[in-house]
Amino acid sequence: MTLPTIKALAISEEVTVAPRKRWFHHAKGRQAVLVNILLSLGAITMLVPFLWMVLTSLKSPAELAQFPPTVFPQEWMWSNYAATLDAAPFGLYFRNSLVIATTHTLITIALGAMAGYALARIYFRGREAIFLAFIAMLMIPTYTKIVPQFLLVKFMPLFGGNDILGQGGSGWLDTWWALIIPGGLSASAIFLFRQFYLSLPKDLEEAARIDGLGEFRIFAQIYTPLIKPAIATVGLLTFQESWNNFLWPLLVTTSSDLRVIQVGLAVFQQLDNTQWQYLMAGTTMATVPMVILFIFAQKYFIQGFTNAGIK
Amino acid sequence: MTTTDHRPARVAKAASVPGTATAPPRKRKRISMAEKKRRRAGWLMITPSVIHVGLWTLIPVIATFYLSFTDYGIFSAPKWIWFDNYVEMFNDPVFMQSIGNTIWYTFWTVPVSMAVAVVVAVLLNQGLKLQKFYRTAFFLPQVTATVAIAMVWLWIFNPQYGLLNAGLEAIGLPGQAWLVDPQWALPSVILVGAWQGIGIKMLIYIAALQNIDESLYEAASLDGASAVRQFFSITVPMLKPATFFVFIISIIGAFQVFDQIYVLTDGGPANATTMMTYEVYRSAFQEFRMGMASAQSVALFAFLLFVTLISRRVTKEED
Repeated sequence: MTLPTIKALAISEEVTVAPRKRWFHHAKGRQAVLVNILLSLGAITMLVPFLWMVLTSLKSPAELAQFPPTVFPQEWMWSNYAATLDAAPFGLYFRNSLVIATTHTLITIALGAMAGYALARIYFRGREAIFLAFIAMLMIPTYTKIVPQFLLVKFMPLFGGNDILGQGGSGWLDTWWALIIPGGLSASAIFLFRQFYLSLPKDLEEAARIDGLGEFRIFAQIYTPLIKPAIATVGLLTFQESWNNFLWPLLVTTSSDLRVIQVGLAVFQQLDNTQWQYLMAGTTMATVPMVILFIFAQKYFIQGFTNAGIK
Repeated sequence: MTTTDHRPARVAKAASVPGTATAPPRKRKRISMAEKKRRRAGWLMITPSVIHVGLWTLIPVIATFYLSFTDYGIFSAPKWIWFDNYVEMFNDPVFMQSIGNTIWYTFWTVPVSMAVAVVVAVLLNQGLKLQKFYRTAFFLPQVTATVAIAMVWLWIFNPQYGLLNAGLEAIGLPGQAWLVDPQWALPSVILVGAWQGIGIKMLIYIAALQNIDESLYEAASLDGASAVRQFFSITVPMLKPATFFVFIISIIGAFQVFDQIYVLTDGGPANATTMMTYEVYRSAFQEFRMGMASAQSVALFAFLLFVTLISRRVTKEED
């Protein structure tokens, strides 16, 4: 995550998703038809790869060897999906991805909300310095930290046969720890939570304090229920990023048991790159959860992406 | 912001101003008692995050700079070699090519997808019946995994059975060996990057368009300005800040392209599509030269910092 993230938040604080009426809003007749044709062509271009993926996953190998290719399967091979699950443990990969993405989401929400609340609503010494440090960390590109992150995992003391100095074993490599802990929180989540807590009124906490509530209860019972949309937004973005993550799980795992679905796909393609119907069935399985999640929670995704700016 | 801020500091400051220094210490102590508890709570709440970000971001960044001056192969201790990695890196034709490829990839994907995004955003902002469907379609590649998407494109680009060659043949154009041909590999990767990058830019443009004051258009309509004229003299200038923002995040994103290279070309053919990120990956995890990989990632960081600083300066001058 990067510097502009911050700027985006400033820009798009009050952005609503629903379109307002615009200048030739009442575009009718020829103009509206033209605009619709243009947009349909664009939308089709965007959707063709997805449709092609699903159609390919339902064709027979013989049909895939035809050129020019058929559009719709001559025979709808639904059995390809069962065969794919036999060809590679995609069910296991799917479960691993699900476990990791869910855990990342829960940790990020718990820790990010607390940190965001503290930064937004409690004054303590060093708060500004910590906040600035978090912002600086937002700007660090993935590739500027990936090598030492890998080394940290490898030399994690007292794990995987390592001694107290981190020597002698493999540390967290090829363990759930490596998959879950480093990606469990991001500075951008903390930042988003801070912005949401800042936007809430102060009189609530004053009333709560008069009632004798402690700071943790004010956080958990008064303010956090008010930012449910923010929790949904940060949660969905975290889940999506974690589900789609490729490089980190690729680096830190070797055994098939710990493979996530994106890495599983890449491995399957390298080992068996002619079975396109299976590869596309696997790809469909890797894609469908995000597509469904996006369609049902579009509002939160869009809010989150407009706020966070980048993937 | 100050309304939601709790700063006893202000009270303390007022008390310490000469002349008001007679503020009773008893009162001060009472404030600090209540404050003490809150501060402790604040620290407790932020400590896990400070530790996590410190361990997994701050320390790695510092380590990257340190390691870039060393020769380090994991199995023996890092050896300090001053600027040798940097010297070697800039004399390495493959790394120089990866810089060229990265810049070329960015040079094409960013403006192309920005141009498409702004047009789509403007068209979508007219309250069409199907606008939600269109928005979903354009945004879908953004939420789905790059690896999965690249896998589909790998199949589309397939020289023998691929959809793209079939489509070209249908309109009488020759097919190509897209990802295998050194001439076509980079343009193919660029096509995928541009295709995938439209969604997020479109979204930011839509948000920016909704912030434009409607009365500007009303006034222009009264003056008889055409829709096209309104687009160029109202919409385009009003979108300037959003354009800067989109431009920067797109460059930063494009410089970090990795997943689709890994799936589509593995950096080939003959390094035609290798990127700076890909060279970092190769040095670190195929050759186990951690020092060299660190130096290469410092170079990548320097490029991104340069772009960010330049753009900030430009934006400031605009203001």
